[in-house]
Amino acid sequence: MKLVTFVSDYKMTVDTLDRLKPEKLGIILVQNGVYHATTKENGKPSSMLNYSANYYVLQEDLETRGLSAANVIDSKVKVIKFGDIVDLMFNEYDKTAWL
Amino acid sequence: MATTKLGFVVTRPGYKSENPKLALTHAIASQSVEIYLKDGDIVTADIAFVGDGVLNCLKDQKAVENYDLNSTESHIKMSLLLDLNVLVCREDLDRFGLSEKDIVIDAPEFGAEVEVKVVPYSEISQMMEEMNHLLFF
Repeated sequence: MKLVTFVSDYKMTVDTLDRLKPEKLGIILVQNGVYHATTKENGKPSSMLNYSANYYVLQEDLETRGLSAANVIDSKVKVIKFGDIVDLMFNEYDKTAWL
Repeated sequence: MATTKLGFVVTRPGYKSENPKLALTHAIASQSVEIYLKDGDIVTADIAFVGDGVLNCLKDQKAVENYDLNSTESHIKMSLLLDLNVLVCREDLDRFGLSEKDIVIDAPEFGAEVEVKVVPYSEISQMMEEMNHLLFF
C-alpha cells in the first residue's frame, strides 16, 4: 500500500505512525504539523523527521505562522502548495490518513 | 473602587484551533466592560505566552493572505495598542532557538506605545500570583 499521511499537530499523543508499515509512506506536514519541519527544541530536530518517508510541508501553513521555506531545517522536506497535495494524492499514493 | 486583574496564559501554538487567539480576543474585550462597572472600578488584563504558546508570537504571519484570517500577530499588536501587559517566556523562546528579533515586539503602525516584554518564567509566575483570575488557553 502506498499511504500518504497528513500530520497536523506539533505535539503528537498517539504512536500511529510507528505502527504503519506501508511499502511507500508520505508525510505531509500541515497546520501545526509544519513546526516539525522548522523547529528545533534544545537544538534537536523533531523526531517526526526520523521516519523512512517522503516528507512534504505546506507552504501556505508555513507562511500563516510567520515561517517560510527558509526556515525548513532538513532538505529532505519538500515545500509544496495545495495544488501539489492534490497531485500527490491522485498520482503517488493509494490511500490517505489524517493524524 | 476596585481593580480586577485578569491573567491570560497561552500555552498552545496558534491556528490549528481558535483557542490561543481567543485568549487575545478575551483580553481585548475585557477593556470594553466599563459600562458594566461602578465608577472607579477597573479591569486589567495581562497576557503571557509560555511553552509552545510562544510560537504564536512569530512575526510576519500571512494569515490574511493565505486564509483570509486575521493573524494572531495582529491580535498581539491590538493588545499593545490597548496597553495590555504582554509577556513572552524567555526560556521557551530559547528552547526553540528563537530570540526577540523573531517575534512581534512592538506595533508602531497601530499607534501602540507599549512593547511585548520577553521575561524569565519567574516573572510570569509572579504575574500569575498577582492575578484575581487566571485563564489558560
